Amino acid sequence: MGKLGRTDIFEAVFWLLIAIIFFAFSFNFNQPIEIYKFGATGWPRVILFLMALVALGNFYQAYSKGSTAQEGRVGAKENDEPIEYTSTGQYIKTGMILILPLLYGLSLKPVGFYSGTPIFIALIMIAWGERRVRFILTNTLLIYAILIGLFMLVLNAPLPQGNMSPFYDISAFMLKTKTQLDQMF
Amino acid sequence: MIENFLAGSATLFGDPFTIGIFIFGVLGGMLFGAIPGVSMLTLAAILLPFTADLSPAQGVMLFAVIYCTGTYGGAITAILFNIPGAPENAPTAFDGYPMTQKGMAGKAVGAAVLCSAIGGVASALVMMSATEPLAQWAIMNIGPPEIFALVFFGLAVASSVGGRTIWKGWLSVLLGLLIATIGQDPVGGINRFNFGYSDLAAGIAFVPAILGFFAVSEIFIQAEKNVSGKYSAPKFNVDFPSFFELWAHKIAVVRSIFVGFFCGILPGIGATLAAFMGYGEAVRWSKNKAEFGTGKLEGVISSETANNAATGAAMIPLLALGLPGGALTAMMVAVFQMHDLEPGPLVFYNSPELIWIVFAAMFYANLSILFVGLIETKTILYLLKIPFQFLAPMILMLASIGAYISRGLVLDVIVMFIAGIIGFLLRRSGYSIPGIVLGLILGKIGEQNFAQGMQMVHYDLGTYFSRPICTILIVAGVLTLLKSLHSAFFQKPKIS
Repeated sequence: MGKLGRTDIFEAVFWLLIAIIFFAFSFNFNQPIEIYKFGATGWPRVILFLMALVALGNFYQAYSKGSTAQEGRVGAKENDEPIEYTSTGQYIKTGMILILPLLYGLSLKPVGFYSGTPIFIALIMIAWGERRVRFILTNTLLIYAILIGLFMLVLNAPLPQGNMSPFYDISAFMLKTKTQLDQMF
Repeated sequence: MIENFLAGSATLFGDPFTIGIFIFGVLGGMLFGAIPGVSMLTLAAILLPFTADLSPAQGVMLFAVIYCTGTYGGAITAILFNIPGAPENAPTAFDGYPMTQKGMAGKAVGAAVLCSAIGGVASALVMMSATEPLAQWAIMNIGPPEIFALVFFGLAVASSVGGRTIWKGWLSVLLGLLIATIGQDPVGGINRFNFGYSDLAAGIAFVPAILGFFAVSEIFIQAEKNVSGKYSAPKFNVDFPSFFELWAHKIAVVRSIFVGFFCGILPGIGATLAAFMGYGEAVRWSKNKAEFGTGKLEGVISSETANNAATGAAMIPLLALGLPGGALTAMMVAVFQMHDLEPGPLVFYNSPELIWIVFAAMFYANLSILFVGLIETKTILYLLKIPFQFLAPMILMLASIGAYISRGLVLDVIVMFIAGIIGFLLRRSGYSIPGIVLGLILGKIGEQNFAQGMQMVHYDLGTYFSRPICTILIVAGVLTLLKSLHSAFFQKPKIS
């Protein structure tokens, strides 16, 4: 096995799978272009071929030298000390931190920015390990106020309003209040 | 030239409203550049509809000023939080963030202020004196083969400096190039890799992808450190670099001005490639290559000089040929079009006052980076004192708004968070996020120019080598690759 680790094998499989899957999907648009000999698939297929080739090179490097940084590489320092997970709790916490923002993004269409944001801010602070209720409430309100003040009141930026009751109604109320404030001043 | 410049300055400072717009642009660009999660592009996207109420000169001038100061502003977040405000500030983080970790944030930010101002002013001066001849030269000598060759060289440089090994550097770049193929192909308009989603027909937008890969992934990295008890707050320090420290890097500054200007002048290339090439050249010519990436002042200087040197140069293809060099200059084209104007050679004859107000404003905006930037820097460094439990949700929220505003699509927010998760996992394994982003930005430009070039030379690749600029760039790219490959096979590993 040389100096190969489990991660190295996983990485090689990951890149090769990407190359194979995308290559298979490239047949969906394998149409000729009259003015261009290589067609719509030429460029992506070269990229996929190179990806597979470089993935094999990466695998060989890991096999012969292990997962070590080459000299003269920059931006690799942060990875020199990989973080070891010692408990299931750590996996759950990190997983929550990764998944929560994605759930917030997915909820924006039905729930909207105005209703979903304070909940998300509080949840992300809890996921970060913050447990002081006062800190969470104060900072959630502060961040929310800054965002509303800057983007809604000053810059008049259009933000997602949601399409589900009662969230849509809350957004409509806030926008109506903003319009009334604009008319007053 | 001097009379025109003075006339432009008089028009700029003769009207209080125009002065107000100028000051707004300077402060807005710096502020939005320096707030982690949003960028000058967010501000520009919000302001675009309002420019319809301004005169054409005021509208274009506002965007030009935001471009200059925002390019500098993005360096602040790159240095303090490892979150580049814009792709052109990505190489700044390579050495800027390690400097912050060592308690040298003041020196890094101070160098970024000064070098951004020097690069920008030098570029503005060349732009004012030589826009027309340079545009003529570019028309005569630069075609699709040269642009493709420069993209190749730039990607070779990016893959050679980022990531834990050359293989990981290249895999990062190739992933960026692959993401760039999603959406319509640039020649025939055929949908590629949209997996049945009509929203993907327009491709993956730069802004959410960049925010995800840079800002969101960095938050995740810090969160993981926090969870495992390894998080340590960056060290606070406001010591600026001394004159002698900066003077020692004068050659790097001059070299980066040339590199930045050359990249900026080419249509579609812009400041991002300039910053990477400026940094790459600094590494190439340095006697202490191994020190790069560990907190070397020269790294910050090279990248920041080059990206601001590209701002003035990027106006040359925009104004003289009507070809934008990046997202913000593309928005400037929209400002022109809103006022029934077309940027191009005729604009010099039809609207000379507009051109010279813009030139003068860019000159003063770059100068103001020095003065306003130094004051701002002393204040902005206090951001390091804010607890990350507060800063993290704030950055995530700002990034969400920044991603949404550019196209008004919730899909972009989702794409941003997915990019953040991918970026987090890839960074843990030693891949290069700047490499992915550069591949993503240059992918479409590279493909389009390769296709046009091949059509031009009737699919005879050998003809590429009959063009001197093209040959030099391709040979330089191949040599860069071979050198990295040599070190991959024959050099001893850095860490055991």
